[in-house]
Amino acid sequence: MRRARPLLESLLAISIGLIAGGLLMLPFRYDPLKAYQALFQGAFGTPDDVLETLAFATPLMLTAITFAVGVRAGLFNIGAEGQMYMGAVSAVFAASFLPLPPGVHVLVATLVAMIGGALWSLIPALLKIGRGVHEVISTIMFNWIAFHLATYLAIYYLAEPGRAERTRPALPTARYPILAEGSTLTAVIFVAILFCLAVYFILWGTRLGYELRLVGENPEAARYAGVRIGRALLWSFLIGGMAAGLAGASQIIGRPPAWSLYATLGNVATLGFDGIGVALVGRNHPLGGILAAILFGALQHGGRFMEYHAGVVSELVRAVNGLIVITLAVPEIWTMLRRRLRR
Amino acid sequence: MREIHKVYPDGTVALRGVDFRLEPGEIVGLLGENGAGKTTLMKILSGLLPPTRGEIRIDGRPVRFRNPADALRAGIGMVHQIFTLVPPYTALENILLGQEGSALWLAKDRARDQVQRLLEELGLSIPLDVPVELLPIGVQQRVEIAKVLYRGTQVLILDEPTSALTPLEVEELFRFLQRLKEGGRSIVFITHKLREVLEISDRIVVLRNGRVTGEIPTPEATPELLAEWMVGRAVVPRVSRSPRPPGEPVLVVRDLEVMGDLGLLAVKGVSFEVRAGEIFGIAGVEGNGQSELAQALGGLRPIHRGEILLDGKPLTPLTPIEAYRRGIAHIPEDRLRFGMALNFDVAENSILSRQWEPAFLRGWGRLDWTRILTFAAELLQRFQVIAPGVRAVARSLSGGNQQKLVVGRELTKEPRLILAVHPTRGLDVASTAYIRELLVQMRDAGKAVLLISADLDEVLELSDRIAVMYEGKFLGMGPVEAFRREEIGLMMGGVAPQGRAV
Repeated sequence: MRRARPLLESLLAISIGLIAGGLLMLPFRYDPLKAYQALFQGAFGTPDDVLETLAFATPLMLTAITFAVGVRAGLFNIGAEGQMYMGAVSAVFAASFLPLPPGVHVLVATLVAMIGGALWSLIPALLKIGRGVHEVISTIMFNWIAFHLATYLAIYYLAEPGRAERTRPALPTARYPILAEGSTLTAVIFVAILFCLAVYFILWGTRLGYELRLVGENPEAARYAGVRIGRALLWSFLIGGMAAGLAGASQIIGRPPAWSLYATLGNVATLGFDGIGVALVGRNHPLGGILAAILFGALQHGGRFMEYHAGVVSELVRAVNGLIVITLAVPEIWTMLRRRLRR
Repeated sequence: MREIHKVYPDGTVALRGVDFRLEPGEIVGLLGENGAGKTTLMKILSGLLPPTRGEIRIDGRPVRFRNPADALRAGIGMVHQIFTLVPPYTALENILLGQEGSALWLAKDRARDQVQRLLEELGLSIPLDVPVELLPIGVQQRVEIAKVLYRGTQVLILDEPTSALTPLEVEELFRFLQRLKEGGRSIVFITHKLREVLEISDRIVVLRNGRVTGEIPTPEATPELLAEWMVGRAVVPRVSRSPRPPGEPVLVVRDLEVMGDLGLLAVKGVSFEVRAGEIFGIAGVEGNGQSELAQALGGLRPIHRGEILLDGKPLTPLTPIEAYRRGIAHIPEDRLRFGMALNFDVAENSILSRQWEPAFLRGWGRLDWTRILTFAAELLQRFQVIAPGVRAVARSLSGGNQQKLVVGRELTKEPRLILAVHPTRGLDVASTAYIRELLVQMRDAGKAVLLISADLDEVLELSDRIAVMYEGKFLGMGPVEAFRREEIGLMMGGVAPQGRAV
């Protein structure tokens, strides 16, 4: 029961969100039933659509981990966006400029991206641990620094000759295999799911995870228990950074047709922030995050069909999506606020 | 001219029918142990808590306060033990803050003159433009008092105002209170310190267990009488125990000094030893350095000076894990704050502070859940913890069962020394009796037990030897039979008995 309750709450929130979205459509004379049917059809109607939905879900389950692992340690780490940019840039560097043998190349590019994301989270982590700088402030600032740094690198150092609007595409040896002809889903989703499972195991199956969660639940009890708090926080940041870095990589070496980073960062932008919503809906749980990411992927992919088939204008589609997201996030935000107020 | 009448009979917790009156221009000392009801009574008078029953009368007219603002309008203001200042704001801003209907930042100049006049009239000196966080505690308290008086307060309530002050600051405060009184204001002075209440008040009211146990004009009061009223006369039944000769000293503490959170010494040089097979009890009103002493022994707070020896070997510098390795089990003073995580389940809480032990781990730092669950189930059974199961969240347990879980966890550490701090506070009768019995069992099994408790009955019931802690020092130490209850009451109030200084 204790474990089922968050799931029920999230399901209830989903229903409320859909109903609220439907009510929003009414004054504009759209048929909510028809619109939602189009949404569902679009997201899951054909096997190809399911694959596409999963392709959208892949980076989101990872950036959700960044936020969730932070919350578990009592942090409000919203740096996934910047760490993801740095992961993407690192992936471009390793995948497009380092000639390596097949097999090894994918692995190296993935690891380099994860390290890039982790390194970008290291400075806010050290500022927090050493100087008590609040992570909200530092990660927001680092998101902006990362944005401009990534843009700069993409234009001046990593650009494809003659095509300034994007970086040089990943070499074929560094690309994850496409899972079905014509789909943009690649094997990188298995890596992402594996990563989520690993984080789940770390949090509940190891001493490190136990101590990390204890710091989040009750820092004073953690001190009493002999936990080195700085170390636990550092790991929370680093695991989050690796997840965000992997999310960035998934859009470079795991997402056709571009296989590269746009100079506008358009093909990765906001994935990090979306992860916060995904984490909230997934109740800051790595496995809940996978389910929530699929839901978000469905909203993104299926939303396009809502516009196409039910004729709902795209702004309204986004408004409806936003409403659903807000409603979905309410239970977890409520829990977090209550926890904070009790202290 | 104001006269406050308060008739307050209550059924629930803190107060069981207390009459209290305050005349204009007098200082009343409100005396009592922890939990006697002093603060509760005054919070009701200042509008912070509603009384369950009873009434408050001012000048004969009944009044009802819904919040502290109501009480302030009636001229009653309280200065709390924990200050309510905004640290980065200046003294002036803090004094003006929350003023009704004031456009604070616009009217600042005029308000400034008013505050300046008030301070002159009161003879208080406060640098108005310095952020209060930079001011010493004594001056911060003046700001707090000025803040209350600026609202036209005629009745000033001070809750343990001297607890954080240096002796010099205390003297200044007392002179100031005298001046206020001469100006016609009335003051309630909450304290547990006998010397202070005898020095400053005109009349003393003593509370115990939510009842008034005595009231007397100060010139007629003696420390002995007040102490008796404060701690009562009841003879505490001693828990049955096997007489056993004290063993070797397990813990030896020499000239220990420990800093408090405010950067002042909280433990000011205490020396004692705890031997195998004895319970050494430290009595005293809370906030006299007991927490800091316990935290230092548990490795949670660095020691400033002095030394701690366990089995003859020094114990410094100390971390919580090191303390455990050397054989110290620590039942912390506040289980919700230190001892457990409410959102963790019973099994997770059963290894809190033991999560690093190889017994609960497999390779690569993995938790061995099979062993943890078995261990948790054993704890529940052995220590009579009533819980829905080992995977039930700790929040779902009653306070008594939470505490039994913590106590069980600590006692199964095979310790040499058990550090038990307020081990039964807030628990039901059955859990209290059970935990006390466990401590005596440990003593009978040859462990050294250091019991720190604000509950005098508990200390007297369990201990072989006792000490009384007051303002960071021991006022008396010896076998429990050597002290009469009134003597202990005197020491808790800061008066050392004749010829038995430490």
